[in-house]
Amino acid sequence: MNLAMLKPGEKGRIAKMGAIGPLRRRLMDMGVLVGEEITVEKVAPLGDPIEITVKNYNLSLRKKEAEGILLEDPK
Amino acid sequence: MTAPTAARSFPVVETAVLRVAVAGNPNSGKSTLINSLAGTRLHVGNWPGVTVEKKEAALEHRGQRIALIDLPGTYSLSPYTEEEIIARDFLVHDRPDIIVDVVDATNLERNLYLTLQLLELGIPVIVALNIYDEAEKKGYKIDVKAMEAALGVTVVPTVATRKTGMNDLLEAVTGAIAKGSRSLPRSQSYGEDIEAAVKMLTAGIVDRHPALVERYPRRWLALKLMEGDRRVLAEANISGVDSLMKDAVGHLREAHGEDLESLMADARYSLAAGLTREVLQRPSVRKTEMTEKIDRVVLNRFLGIPIFFAAMWFVFKMTFDLSAPFADWLDGAINGPLTRWIEASTNLLHGPDWLVSLMTKGVIAGVGSVLVFVPVIFAMMFFITFLEGSGYMARAAFVMDRAMHSMGLHGKSFIPMILGFGCNVPAIYATRTLENPRDKALTALLIPLMSCGARLPVYILFVGAFFSAQSGTVLWSLYVMGIVLAVLMGILFKRTLFRGESPMFIMELPPYRMPSGRSLAIHTWEKGKHFLIKAGTYILAVSVLVWFLLNLPWGVENKKDSYLGKVGSAIAPVFAPLGFGNWEASSSLIAGVIAKEIVVGTMGEIYVRETEKKPEGPAPTFFEDLREIGTSFASAGREAFTNVISTVGITSLKAEEKEEEATLRSVVAKSFTPLSAYAFMAFVLLYMPCVVAAAAFKHEFGTWKWFGVAFVYQTILAWSVAFIVYQGGKLFGIGG
Repeated sequence: MNLAMLKPGEKGRIAKMGAIGPLRRRLMDMGVLVGEEITVEKVAPLGDPIEITVKNYNLSLRKKEAEGILLEDPK
Repeated sequence: MTAPTAARSFPVVETAVLRVAVAGNPNSGKSTLINSLAGTRLHVGNWPGVTVEKKEAALEHRGQRIALIDLPGTYSLSPYTEEEIIARDFLVHDRPDIIVDVVDATNLERNLYLTLQLLELGIPVIVALNIYDEAEKKGYKIDVKAMEAALGVTVVPTVATRKTGMNDLLEAVTGAIAKGSRSLPRSQSYGEDIEAAVKMLTAGIVDRHPALVERYPRRWLALKLMEGDRRVLAEANISGVDSLMKDAVGHLREAHGEDLESLMADARYSLAAGLTREVLQRPSVRKTEMTEKIDRVVLNRFLGIPIFFAAMWFVFKMTFDLSAPFADWLDGAINGPLTRWIEASTNLLHGPDWLVSLMTKGVIAGVGSVLVFVPVIFAMMFFITFLEGSGYMARAAFVMDRAMHSMGLHGKSFIPMILGFGCNVPAIYATRTLENPRDKALTALLIPLMSCGARLPVYILFVGAFFSAQSGTVLWSLYVMGIVLAVLMGILFKRTLFRGESPMFIMELPPYRMPSGRSLAIHTWEKGKHFLIKAGTYILAVSVLVWFLLNLPWGVENKKDSYLGKVGSAIAPVFAPLGFGNWEASSSLIAGVIAKEIVVGTMGEIYVRETEKKPEGPAPTFFEDLREIGTSFASAGREAFTNVISTVGITSLKAEEKEEEATLRSVVAKSFTPLSAYAFMAFVLLYMPCVVAAAAFKHEFGTWKWFGVAFVYQTILAWSVAFIVYQGGKLFGIGG
């Protein structure tokens, strides 16, 4: 289960950061950390990128980048 | 909490200039705060060697001279992005006396993440708790006193857009320096494990590498070594760092794995989260916010793209319609009265004819070709700044990214590209909205393929001469050709010059805000001013050069004998396979380097050799001229206003045809064939960008490199396409 698989309105908690290098650091600097709850708000009209809320603000990222963010299995 | 990290003693010098670095997240209102503090004293330039904007201002508060230095807006101080590297290098190596950290009060946690990193530097910090009004409106209660106690720094609530708290901020700055080293922030504890490792690392560095302690703040250096910061590791070049690290962080690695960079991010964020919980009270019931409501429409699956295109159309029309009357006015004033004055005064001083010609046709025409761009650059900067400041730019990027990404570009690339259809020059400047240098360069390289307004007169001449029956289709085909080639070149560049991972997209969608008038004015003015001074010089030089080419040796009767004609004749064979290998065409193309519409003007001079002077009435007096300039400016204002109201129809497509143009068209009709005419138009579309665009490249990128790339690829592309059109056409027996 990764972030790119969520539909608008769905939530998830980050279990593992699969991204590496600068992308990983950038995501972490933006508050995308293990244990953080993320909501997918919107998908762009052309299907990519997506908009999420994390730490109470809105962030957009491409699906390819979201694929590296692994989520906990829904209980 | 531990004692202040007095990494070094700070010289307290009252008389010297106090160097204050302003740091903060993007969208924290940092730019507006700087503008509010500095007002007209703001100086905008670039950080050396890069395209990132650098703002500075010299102020005085209570007799203390202050030098404000604006650092690029960053979320962190990682070694990965250009902005972050500039900010940290300045903080670490140039050691400002104080850091003013602009914190967005509505987004405390993420902003404090950067604050914590600034506190690691051992430099006094003052927090400007900005956008305080919006936080209050949201029902946020921030305990400023508790925040000051927890961070050990002065916290000043500010509303930069309304200039609230600016004086308090300056008071805090001068006050902090009076306190000397007592104003150093409390060092924050990242937890026992990390602190123990920091202590060991610091001791090890002091022990074994005392020279490094001189160059870096100790705690910061230790933390960066732990993070495995590649820039510090490379710069510091520490021998035996491995054994040092093994001792200090071995147990951390055992417990948390190799990735201590994540450990540090976690530690800082959990501290930021803790601080936020301590000082901030949010209302329990969250209202649906304005931004959310707007985004429901603006980013809607079905409406998002139409709204984006409507916004683009509006910005495009406004930029060019608003500026066109003023550009025409400048053009008129320069070519009419100003030229007459210069002519008259040079004659009065008994200047020779060639001097009169050089002054009017070389210098004044050159100055004119610079000036006419100023209104459009003003207008473009105004709208771009508005789009960015309001928060819509990020949405535009969000909506368009998918399409642009397929050709290796960023969502934000779309707006500069669209502006390119009006004029490539402001479009190249508009690439400054792109943060990543790679995105920026690639976008700028493709902009010249967007068929700008200056190429239209060339098309109109040739379409009128050869394709009047299918004028619309032929014109359309040229624009489409430019777009298709841009897509193909984008893909090609992505695979060659810009190989490797495409830059990441991770982008904040900030809340919608009304940009302050002051910010809009400053950005607009600065850009226009810099264009005049920096780009102006090059353009003037080339304009004078072309004058020399066209008019020397002095007194040439036949333009073929001028230097331009000679150069034209010399290179004409190159164009033979394209169908227009004559000196007239090649000379016009050379002159067209100043601006592509000049191709038509030069053809007029070359082909239509009637040099007889138009019968002119008595020359207007000085005062008549002045009055004329005044009234025409007023009517330009009126026209701009009506353009804004009736944004229908393209104003630049005025259908007033002069007699000379008809003559020129009939001459052109004899010298070209439909096929060679089309090849010629394709060549004009694609060949090297004009001098003004070249100057914009240099100005925006600080180097000639990207203009060089554009020059080379476009020359090759133009020749190849024209070759394929002409030879291919002949092969199929079309219009040959």
